[in-house]
Amino acid sequence: MSNSVISVISRFLEEYTSSTPNKLKVVDAYLLYILLTGALQFLYCLLVGTFPFNSFLSGFISCVGSFILAVCLRIQINPQNKGEFLSISPERAFADFLFAHTVLHLVVMNFIG
Amino acid sequence: MDRSRLFGCFLLSLALAGAQALTPAHHLSLPDVARLQNLLSQQFTDLESAYYSVVGLTKLGAAVSDHNQVCQFLKSQLDPTSVDSVFFAAETSQAISGCEIPVSNETRDILLAAVSEDSTMTQIHRAVSALNSLGLPLASQEVVGALTARINKEDNVMAITLALQTAARLSQQAELGGILEEIEDLTARLDDLGGIYLQFEEGLEATAMFVTAAYSLSDHVDMEPPLKEDQVIQLVNSIFSKKSWDSLAEAFSVASAAAALSSNRFHVPVIVSAQGPATVSHSQPTLQLLVTDVMSQPLASANVLVESAYAVASKSIILSQVPFTLNDGVFELNFMSNQPASGYYQFTIAVTGDSRLVANHVELKVKVSTEVAVTNMDLSVVDKDQSIGTKTTRVDYPSKAKSSFTADSHQNFAMSFQLVDVNTGVELTPHQTFVRLHNQKTGQEVVFVAEPDSKNLYKFELDTAERKSEFDSISGTYSLYLIVGDATLENPILWNVADVVLKFVDEEAPATIQPKTLYVPKPEIQHLFREPEKKPPTVVSNTFTALILSPFLLLLILWFKLGANISNFSFSPSTILFHVGHAAMLGLMYVYWTHLNMFQTLKYLAIIGGVTFLAGNRMLAQKAVKRIEKK
Repeated sequence: MSNSVISVISRFLEEYTSSTPNKLKVVDAYLLYILLTGALQFLYCLLVGTFPFNSFLSGFISCVGSFILAVCLRIQINPQNKGEFLSISPERAFADFLFAHTVLHLVVMNFIG
Repeated sequence: MDRSRLFGCFLLSLALAGAQALTPAHHLSLPDVARLQNLLSQQFTDLESAYYSVVGLTKLGAAVSDHNQVCQFLKSQLDPTSVDSVFFAAETSQAISGCEIPVSNETRDILLAAVSEDSTMTQIHRAVSALNSLGLPLASQEVVGALTARINKEDNVMAITLALQTAARLSQQAELGGILEEIEDLTARLDDLGGIYLQFEEGLEATAMFVTAAYSLSDHVDMEPPLKEDQVIQLVNSIFSKKSWDSLAEAFSVASAAAALSSNRFHVPVIVSAQGPATVSHSQPTLQLLVTDVMSQPLASANVLVESAYAVASKSIILSQVPFTLNDGVFELNFMSNQPASGYYQFTIAVTGDSRLVANHVELKVKVSTEVAVTNMDLSVVDKDQSIGTKTTRVDYPSKAKSSFTADSHQNFAMSFQLVDVNTGVELTPHQTFVRLHNQKTGQEVVFVAEPDSKNLYKFELDTAERKSEFDSISGTYSLYLIVGDATLENPILWNVADVVLKFVDEEAPATIQPKTLYVPKPEIQHLFREPEKKPPTVVSNTFTALILSPFLLLLILWFKLGANISNFSFSPSTILFHVGHAAMLGLMYVYWTHLNMFQTLKYLAIIGGVTFLAGNRMLAQKAVKRIEKK
């Protein structure tokens, strides 16, 4: 049982390293970074307390928002999804990503207190 | 016709069955009628005002002073070529006796010519009325045609009301059915205000003239107007609610409506009111009712009957089907002969004797008042341990006890009495029974409520030790008062029963003697900010700061491993500008956090963002071109 799980996971990693474009791996690394940052903030909130609650919220919202935006970017620049986003070039997707980020962080900064 | 009348009676009886009928809230009281007469009898200046004055006064049943003088005035002012002038003169002359307006053939032709589809409704009305009053012949059927045509052209309340009035002057043989139907159409246009008032938005005059016209036409053709009982009452309310009239014409319209509502063949609203306050007592045992029409003229022919009367408190019926007797225009009933207990009684009164009566079932609240007497007033000072037998003193109203009573902290002061009805001897429990103690020196007063026990014996006991706080522990001589009051009592009582010396043990500082000032400023309310919660120790927060930053290191490592690099970086101006702009935006976010407000930030952001957008657009376009070329 555990063997099969391990084999599935190793197979998955193998496939991932071999078949995923390097560009997407860079985005995936970014996603992992954001996920960990958010998780650590949440851990802090659980262990220590929510005290400056708006600061916690803005930090956490920043993580969640960034993660979602990065996922969107990843979907749009994935060559496998090319058929779905014919009108959106990778450059356009990146520009949208940056614009959305600016707006998101304006809100986050407004909220941080 | 008989059938419709039967149906009307049926409707009326149905309305009566629903006992909670609307009753008129307004009518012309005698002072109102006098004021209306006064307004109408002012000196007239022209034919129009003469018409309003003389005809209005006649409608109210008042006498017009000098008929000859009026007649002279009419003749001197008459302009035989004007329809209006002839109308006013002819109508006014009808209202006074022995005044005949001479008419030439020329005038008659002018009047007849005015009756056509091309004249206004007012002209037709005035011409027809003048011809009618002057006793000149006229073709009724032609007038009906002209009126019908005008109704279609001038579709407003005033015009249709005039058409109704005109139709009432025509021969009964003419086909008035079409115009009669307009009454129902106009009724549908009335606005209902809260179920109490029914009126035209055109104003009081339109409403009052409509009522006048509707009843005069209905009387003329002997058909009951299509007005329900409630509608008649609502019309009465809206016509007579206004008690000061703006113009002679308005006063005239109210007088006409009052006349129409008090003498027509179908609906006569009844106003039932008590003469003076609706109160009976042993000294005034009869309930006196005034039963009048809307002009406060007594309806002497009516029969007034108490359908039922019940006590409001106990709901027990005390009277049913008892007639009032008519005595000099006032309907009287000796209610005290039924020996009602004091209190309020709800009467349902029916006025019968005429099938035309409207609003003839009236609810009336009657108060039965009585006189109270205080008996068996016993005062005593009781030792708490009861070792000494109590000595009671009896005091008779209204004298005061000869000696004063002394009670210290080991004694209770006790008082017991009964309240009885002087006339019947029955025990009473009035709403307000208070015992008041008034300090003769300081003026301080303390009031207690005396409560009756199950045998209606009032007992009041003052425990000096327990009650000392209410007296601020001030010993001294207090005047003892008994206060008895109720809405149904004719003789409320304030009786100084005795003087009581109260002695409290621990007399406090005399400072409390000064009356407390009630009106001192309250302490200022300070805004309380939320207390910041305790911050976690610095070690913890620093550790977590480091922890939260650590994934960034991981990111860099991962990227390094993946072989991400900046080898593709070109040093074209757009690229540099884009990166600088982006960095500036991040910087601005930080400055926004620390220094700026939202509006300043948005201003700067627009500048930086614009530049960055243009540069980024150019840079990404170049990249896209490169990418496509590569392919």
